[in-house]
Amino acid sequence: MNNMTSQQRKLVYLIGIIVLLIPIIWLSLPSDGKNKPGGVLSQLRSQYELGESDLGDVDASSAAMNLVLLGMRGVAVNMLWMDLDLQKDMKRWAEMQATTESIVRLQPHYEKVWDFNGWNLAYNTSAEWDAVPDRYYWVKQGAKFLKRGVERNKRSTELLYRTGKVIEHKIGYADESIDYRRYFLSDPDPAFNKGPDPTINPEGKDNFLVGKEWFDLACESELTRPQHILDRSLFRATPARCQFDYAQSLQKDGKFGEETRAAWEQARKDWTEVYGREIYHAQIGAEESDIRLEMTEDEIKQVAGNPDDELRVRRAVDAYQKMTNYRYWRTRAFAEAEQDTAEAHRSIFEAKQAYKAQEFDNARKAALSGMEGFDKLLKRPEYAILAEEELLCEECLLGWKIWDDIYKVAGEKIPDEFPLKWLLELKQGNEQLMASVNKQFRRLFQDNR
Amino acid sequence: MYFDPAENFIHPPFAIYNWMIVAGFFTAVVLVVSLLTLLVSKGASGFGVFFTELIGMLKDVFSLSPRRIWALTRLTFMEAYRRKALAVFVVFGLLFMFAGWFMGDSKEIQPDQVKVYISFVLTAVSWLTLPVVLILACFGIPEDIRLRSIHTVVTKPARRIEIVLGRMIGVSMIGWLVLSVMSVVGYLWIVRQIPQASQELLKCRVPVHGLVSFKDREGTYGKEGINVGDIWAFRSYIEGATKSRAEWRFFNVDETMLDSEGNLRLENSFSAFRSYKGDMTRPLFYDIKLFNIENPEISYTTQPQPVNEFRSKQDIIPRKVTVDDVQYDILNDLTTKGSDKIPKGILGIEVACIDRDQYIGMARSDLFIRMPDRPFWVGYWKAIFGTALTVLLVSMIGVAASTMVKAPIAAVLTAVMYILSGKNPHQFMDQLVAGQVQGGGVLESVYRLVMHLGPSTELPANPAFTVVQIFDSILMNFLWLCKQVIPRSQYFNMSEYVANGFDVPWAYSLIPSLLVTSAFIIPCVMMGYFALRTRELESK
Repeated sequence: MNNMTSQQRKLVYLIGIIVLLIPIIWLSLPSDGKNKPGGVLSQLRSQYELGESDLGDVDASSAAMNLVLLGMRGVAVNMLWMDLDLQKDMKRWAEMQATTESIVRLQPHYEKVWDFNGWNLAYNTSAEWDAVPDRYYWVKQGAKFLKRGVERNKRSTELLYRTGKVIEHKIGYADESIDYRRYFLSDPDPAFNKGPDPTINPEGKDNFLVGKEWFDLACESELTRPQHILDRSLFRATPARCQFDYAQSLQKDGKFGEETRAAWEQARKDWTEVYGREIYHAQIGAEESDIRLEMTEDEIKQVAGNPDDELRVRRAVDAYQKMTNYRYWRTRAFAEAEQDTAEAHRSIFEAKQAYKAQEFDNARKAALSGMEGFDKLLKRPEYAILAEEELLCEECLLGWKIWDDIYKVAGEKIPDEFPLKWLLELKQGNEQLMASVNKQFRRLFQDNR
Repeated sequence: MYFDPAENFIHPPFAIYNWMIVAGFFTAVVLVVSLLTLLVSKGASGFGVFFTELIGMLKDVFSLSPRRIWALTRLTFMEAYRRKALAVFVVFGLLFMFAGWFMGDSKEIQPDQVKVYISFVLTAVSWLTLPVVLILACFGIPEDIRLRSIHTVVTKPARRIEIVLGRMIGVSMIGWLVLSVMSVVGYLWIVRQIPQASQELLKCRVPVHGLVSFKDREGTYGKEGINVGDIWAFRSYIEGATKSRAEWRFFNVDETMLDSEGNLRLENSFSAFRSYKGDMTRPLFYDIKLFNIENPEISYTTQPQPVNEFRSKQDIIPRKVTVDDVQYDILNDLTTKGSDKIPKGILGIEVACIDRDQYIGMARSDLFIRMPDRPFWVGYWKAIFGTALTVLLVSMIGVAASTMVKAPIAAVLTAVMYILSGKNPHQFMDQLVAGQVQGGGVLESVYRLVMHLGPSTELPANPAFTVVQIFDSILMNFLWLCKQVIPRSQYFNMSEYVANGFDVPWAYSLIPSLLVTSAFIIPCVMMGYFALRTRELESK
């Protein structure tokens, strides 16, 4: 007990509070943004870029929610995740999306949350719907969600990549890709007046080109902020691979003119002059040296220094090239720039169209022309490597399948010798490839329905 | 809708009979325990005390004064007001000021977003009101006893049963006041959030559901169709281009079920499942056959219709239909005429999937006859009425609990009762009582945990385990008894109907919730009165 009166005790408490506040105020002094760096906390926040605005766009409502919940954020988030799971199982999509929104407000800088939910919307939710425009709506929702994730997390290389992946891969390679790619340029939602949805495609470009832009941003970010999705050499190949995808998609769409040639030329440049000139680190002898996928003899000698290391450099470059399938795509880019190759593609495309239209004579003629074109191309020693890759082989064998089927339907004897016979014999044992060819062939029937 | 409203159906005579058994049993237990306690503490004179008290209680019950109850209600109301119970409006105001930030862009309003808005308002209103009611109900009487201000009341002619009743009504009135203000603001908020062009999304559909059965691919009847592997097995699927069908029977079909133009409006929300993708631009198709179940030859089949998955789709069937140059009247020719075996006015409806190797999924509530819509406010206020009943229930349980135990314990007890009143806890308790939960009862589960035995491992048959199982079965029976006194709040949750654009049905929601609330009035009042009468008010 003491002899102080109530008023005196209150004064002592007040002085105690003030004394304790002084170091707190000193530690947490804000920076003035110019000369004064502020208190220790402010300096540390700037040093480690931990401020809300350093991480990405500031969302006032999200910050308010996190502050209001104090230490209960984890509990609230857990409950929301359980709700999300239940709503997904029960196919309550609107509620699921609302729960997703609540989760990202509570965990705005947890990249995996954006990644998981973006994927969930674009890949899982879209697949639950039956109508293609509905599916596309949810793919878009996934892409938009990831885009918002990028805006909230400017330091995230991986979210940039994931956004690009949905636009490039989901829209470009789903079973419904023909419709998705069309919708990407002309949205089925009447609100967009037959134009693209400006949130994900403001300039009305092809999905592969938009994907390429996102991958470019991801590669730029990767220079300062590493990613943990792919090996670096594969990760940095993504923009150029998008350009290849774009060029191939033009061919699939039946475009074989200057636009396609330019796309292939750009792909070649991206592959050999940009991606091929990227620097990677490889252990050469005792030291780590800088190598490139595309190196001249002089550069190899310069990096190696002595004949033994020269061999090591060649092996390292070879290993990287094999991992990224570099030589195939380089050769393909050169081959596609040739007029004969474009003609062979055109012939196979025409064969497919004629077959669909049940114009069998025209289809057989066009298929044979395409087969001859590719036979000639693949037999050239500099392009022999193309026969090792499945993508081009699929197209060649689809041409053969059409040609072969027409003979069978007509009850005619199939000639003993025909172009690409050697390729067929070579690939017949490749079940995966043949299954893919058969699947594409079956689709020609389905399109007829 | 993702649930079948018929799950909530209560048969009133059966419910009342069940209530009388449970209430009677509890009354008997209370009386026997009281008598035994008095006999032990006072010996043979305990009989006299018991009957004197019993007669006194009955006198109190039959001499209630509405004027005194109203005075105590006003007192409770004023007390709650002075304790700043209405400060909850500040939280409510903040919530609704910023709710729009969290709810997306109202320019791109979708039907599903309307669902989110309505759910939000009805949930927020109920979550903000119930804690206030719970705290006021549980802390009122214990605080009065602690501060001894209760003496100023009990020394007046007011009877203790009137104190309990006054508290219950007063707390409920505060809750209803808070609820009504929030509901009006919430209603205006919803209407304001939905752009003028999308106001038609605010509606109250009135469905008439039938009974469904399924036929398999050979045409044999069963309760369910095919399970296509969905985790949520709410819908059953029928296979395309086979004899597989979903067959509904609608009862009492008459002219009131036709729209103003004399058409029968059938609405469905079927689901599609593809075993192969095929041509994705072509939807799956179904057709609907209306037939007379007395003479299935008399039937009318619609043209194939595309499935509109996750949305509602209407099929409008004119009253007069022509089949092979013969004209049928739906009401006169396709519904039953009535006989000894089959009642009048039954319409049979059969749904088939057209596409081979593809499936269409449906549950009982996925096909209904759509009656003329009601305005949105009708369903909204019914849902608010459901919350008002919950407020009354919570205040009754809270006040009754506060007469027996201290305030924090009463609050926890009431909160736990409310949490356990949900659909999932009741389902779990039902499974436990029915012995459907693997791993046995309490003792058996403890044994399995300690011995690291899985729930499916057989236990050795010996006397020790027989005793364990007998003990567990006694506990299970006790759990059954406890379960009867925990209300089922699933009846009270009417927001799901309104959020999904349906009117709140009387039979499946309003009547059951009214019955449940009524069932708690007498037990709660009597328990509260009994506890307050026997309680030593000097003890804090």
